[in-house]
Amino acid sequence: MSRIVIVEDNAQNARLAARLLKKAGHEVTVAEDGEIGLRAVFEQQPDLVLIDLGLPDIDGQTVIGLIRENDSTRTSRIVAFTAYPEDTAAHMAKAYGCDGVITKPIVTGKFAEQVAGFLKRD
Amino acid sequence: MTSPFFIAKPASQYTFEQLAEIYNESRVDYIVPMPMNAKRLRDYVVQYDVDLGASVLAVNQDNQVAGIGMLGVRAERAWITRLGVIPTRRGRGVGQFIMEKLIENAGARGCTRAQLEVIDGNEAAHNLFDKLGFTTSRQLLVIRRPPGAPPSMPDAHFDALSSDHMPAMLAQRRDQPSWVDETRSVLAAGSAIEGWCVRLADGSSGWVVYRASPFQLSHIVMGSLGGELTGECARALLHAVHTQHARRDTKVENIPAQSPLWSAYQAFDYAIEFTRIEMFKTL
Repeated sequence: MSRIVIVEDNAQNARLAARLLKKAGHEVTVAEDGEIGLRAVFEQQPDLVLIDLGLPDIDGQTVIGLIRENDSTRTSRIVAFTAYPEDTAAHMAKAYGCDGVITKPIVTGKFAEQVAGFLKRD
Repeated sequence: MTSPFFIAKPASQYTFEQLAEIYNESRVDYIVPMPMNAKRLRDYVVQYDVDLGASVLAVNQDNQVAGIGMLGVRAERAWITRLGVIPTRRGRGVGQFIMEKLIENAGARGCTRAQLEVIDGNEAAHNLFDKLGFTTSRQLLVIRRPPGAPPSMPDAHFDALSSDHMPAMLAQRRDQPSWVDETRSVLAAGSAIEGWCVRLADGSSGWVVYRASPFQLSHIVMGSLGGELTGECARALLHAVHTQHARRDTKVENIPAQSPLWSAYQAFDYAIEFTRIEMFKTL
């Protein structure tokens, strides 16, 4: 079991992602915007952060930068979780030091496995 | 324009919370999602002179909001922004209805020119703007740089600009900024504006003014103190900005794709997030 923070403002996507990850045995916290997400990440120091790049209060990239700049969360696994076109998503994820990208829409049969793949990496 | 299906309501009849919710719903599947909360939308309205009385929501016969569009007004110029149609209510001419209403409102406020930006790849919107008589002006880049110390630079002499000097420097601009980067937009951030002046050993000099909000740098404007701004001077200015704020994320909107400054940004590891197309229409 891993601790995962999902930072996602779209309630439908967040619910679906959380349900699939809980079903796979993970402990999941959902944050609906960047500020709540940052607080959750700093408090919980999760095994993985799944973060939307388009958030209503602070840009997802800015949140990632803040996580990477904080000593206690610098090495967190971060996966961009986005509806950006694949090449843009990959480009942004690389620039901001993400461990990977999962593009929306969520593929229900594959999602937990995709996340598990990032959790397994050294 | 009248429509048998919709009526136009001014955005001023809605709260910022309602407007943000409607806008987010209209953009939920947008090519580059840019959701806003009420605070962010309120700041946007103030900083970019959005006239909520001239901004429009299309409402159907069941009193359901089908779409939204906002209008910025500066003297005789209008800027169309935040246009979106709720996905389940698309395909009924909502976008065109809102656009025509915004253009009508711009004319009623004495505007003689309207401008907008569309994200490159949003063919449906681009086709609508073409149909309504907008013509393409140029490509604009939205670029970002993650936090991090800048690469080293040759020695240069830096001076912080005072709050009195920054408007004076911006008044010397020679570039053709997009709406969001116009001097009025930059100065709207008030005390969050910072600036530097740089002199290089070869005698060239320049200035930079930018917005430094708590989490993000933005609205970077650079200029020369005489002649053209050299690439080396632009790099020295960016070096000053990113040395001062090495731990802050940076987003710069609407750098013209042909701008000679783009290579200076690239030297500091800026990456393109997406591209916009700027369009104009004479009213």
